[in-house]
Amino acid sequence: MSRVLNAVLTHVPPGEIARSVAWWSHVAPADSLLIVHGGPEAEFGAIQSANKVHVPAARLRTTDHPRERQSYTEAYAAVSEWMCGRDFSHVYFAEFDHVPLVADLNERLLGRLAAERADMLCHGLRRVDDTGWHHYLYHCQDPRFHRHWETASVREDRRVVLSMLGTGAFWTRQAFDAVARGREPFPMYHEIYLPTLAHHLGYRVRGMADGEHWVSNLGDFRGRIRKARNEGAWTIHPVKSLAGLRWGGG
Amino acid sequence: MKNFLLLKIRALGLAVARLFASDLTDVRTGEKIGRALLLPWRGKIHVIGLEEAVKVAFVPQTRLTFWKQEIGFSAHPVPDFPHEPRP
Repeated sequence: MSRVLNAVLTHVPPGEIARSVAWWSHVAPADSLLIVHGGPEAEFGAIQSANKVHVPAARLRTTDHPRERQSYTEAYAAVSEWMCGRDFSHVYFAEFDHVPLVADLNERLLGRLAAERADMLCHGLRRVDDTGWHHYLYHCQDPRFHRHWETASVREDRRVVLSMLGTGAFWTRQAFDAVARGREPFPMYHEIYLPTLAHHLGYRVRGMADGEHWVSNLGDFRGRIRKARNEGAWTIHPVKSLAGLRWGGG
Repeated sequence: MKNFLLLKIRALGLAVARLFASDLTDVRTGEKIGRALLLPWRGKIHVIGLEEAVKVAFVPQTRLTFWKQEIGFSAHPVPDFPHEPRP
């Protein structure tokens, strides 16, 4: 029996988090939603959610994410620790502005994962080693980067580097916990680090495939939710605020 | 404000560069894999406006020529690696 934990990473004020919790209530019961709070600690107590964890990690709170090599490692570790003793089989880890559009999102993701025989699904997945991909070039100027994967990999080809859009990823519990146990030997941007680590730990990483154009790193799709839903998108990113929006509307 | 202006100038520069950019074709598949302005400058080739993950290499030649070689582009296939259990 599969049970999905929906972990929503957020740093916005408690009022906006309450809107997220209400939105997600159409997708998952309260006991399957975990608010992963990376905002000011003073606001943590005001968050109205059955399940919440605070992550006081400096590298989560970056402003220029790729250049400062934003890290989700501590957030993943906090979620993994929170799941100890709980019977979740899968994890959907999403940023607050990556918004679900279908009530049966978890069932669809489970179906896609099974169809792909994958351990992890993510958006914008691409192989970037030996290419001109900006994040890759920024990392491989550090001689430790490729050297690390040489020693950390179970794969025959240890040069493979993967990149994803880190806004929403679906994991088996086993793969998520294994990645969460990893410790960055030196700072790496999570969009490079997480899929590459999962791959080199032997897990099968695949793209989400559907609705990719509704998951972007730029802009704000707040006014286009209805169109995205009509085109069959399961999720949408970014929607920076849910104020004034209602489930099923847009 | 300064950052906003810099971003606007960069966007304008990129828009102009894209007017003069060339399509990049995958030397293996023949498919278009991106678009960029290529500028030789001080012993390097500067690639401006490229948005895809593209590899660069000299293209193998069916005819031996001493006076000309080609630099071509290709993209990795979509990642499709099997699950590989730890030893």
